[in-house]
Amino acid sequence: MKRLEARHWTFIGLFLTIGITMLLNFRLDIPVSDRTRVLYDYIEQLPSGSTLIVSFDHEASSVPEIRPIALSILRHAFKKGHKLIGVALLAEGTLIGYRLMRQTAEEYGRVYGADYVYLGFRPQYIAAILSMGKSIRETYPQDYRGNDYDSLPMLRGIENYSDIAGVLSIADGSLTTHWIEYGRGRFDIPVAAGVTAAMVTTYDPYVASGQLDAMVGGLRGAAEYEQLIAREGGGIRGMLAQSSAHVYVVVLIIIGNIIHFASRRRRAA
Amino acid sequence: MDFGTIIAGILTLAILSFLYRDNPVYKMAESLLIGVSIGYFLVITWTNTLMDTMFEPLFAKGDLFLLIPLALGLLMFARFHQKTSWLAKIPIGFLIGSGAGVAIPAMLHARTLKQMSATVAPIISEGGLPNVGSIVVIVGVISTLTYFYFSREHKGALGKSARLGTFFLMVFFGTTFGYTVMSRMSTFIGRMEFLLADFLHLY
Repeated sequence: MKRLEARHWTFIGLFLTIGITMLLNFRLDIPVSDRTRVLYDYIEQLPSGSTLIVSFDHEASSVPEIRPIALSILRHAFKKGHKLIGVALLAEGTLIGYRLMRQTAEEYGRVYGADYVYLGFRPQYIAAILSMGKSIRETYPQDYRGNDYDSLPMLRGIENYSDIAGVLSIADGSLTTHWIEYGRGRFDIPVAAGVTAAMVTTYDPYVASGQLDAMVGGLRGAAEYEQLIAREGGGIRGMLAQSSAHVYVVVLIIIGNIIHFASRRRRAA
Repeated sequence: MDFGTIIAGILTLAILSFLYRDNPVYKMAESLLIGVSIGYFLVITWTNTLMDTMFEPLFAKGDLFLLIPLALGLLMFARFHQKTSWLAKIPIGFLIGSGAGVAIPAMLHARTLKQMSATVAPIISEGGLPNVGSIVVIVGVISTLTYFYFSREHKGALGKSARLGTFFLMVFFGTTFGYTVMSRMSTFIGRMEFLLADFLHLY
């Protein structure tokens, strides 16, 4: 058996910190940021029955972070009685998006075809976004389940973005940028996003310039949203673990610095 | 517990075993992930792209217009033969031309013009007080741009502005790094949640 090195102890410490915090599940009040509240208010203030496109623009690797964000937004939208059209611009997000929509729809008793539909994946995201602006029917003659577009009651009367209230892009990369550039830029459709924390600084300038109407970022954004809809979906408990992990990292940095300066002084002596 | 959860739990532990050291169990899980991802992508591409948007409309509905993209697509394979490789330039040229034509105006509008106009905000608020946020944005943009201005040596006022720009850049890099650490930590927390709740049923 290999001798445990410093990095192994670091991992074990992180593993224990996160594991114990998640099991104990303390109560943690997370102040809701204005950014998250803007997205909440946007969905809240839409008239019930508004049609929204939810675009699952992520890969499987980011599901642990994306899932709580998507669950919160979908639950809020279904609770408000909005009609949702699910699409995926990345192949890997196709099945994940479908499952998330089906799960949340069942929680609120929403019916496939009447309250939500899942159209699935289309390649070449720019072409897909532009094509939907011309005709969603032509872009998706059939839904993910193989039903004809016209056989789905919810889609009757929906031709292109002019019949859609907005786009919610659930993304772990730069695909939301394409919704902004081609969806909002060309067709003036409101675009909001739920993105991983790593992408927050990429999209902040778009929020500041008003090109991205609203954004929820990372596990923290998910936890805030869960507080707003008063329904836990992994974000609040995850944020508790996140906070303890951050404290653990800060403690490690302090210990590392103490050891560094102590050894330097010893060498100088 | 369903079979899928057991498999997912074992594979998660197999991937995490890399934290101890590289091992055959990790390699097996990694190869499986790559294989399944490629297989899934191929199936989705076949069903949602080639079948839905090409073969079915072409052969079942007789949409002969689709012969053009089909021919362009097939010409891509001409690269594999030395004598015919020049033919691949036709679809590549089409892709570059149409891609640039579509992308350049949209990117210029969203990434440059809109962002520029958002930068130029009033520095005095309606109440007559200075708008600190707008001033910071303007100073940040100008000083950062001067840092990337290489036509003159960074001396005097230009040097001071460029130096200020580096501070803004450092703030950006620090924020981005912090968010990225947070993101990676969230991924680990997500897997821990799965292991503790779904796999081990500890809560």
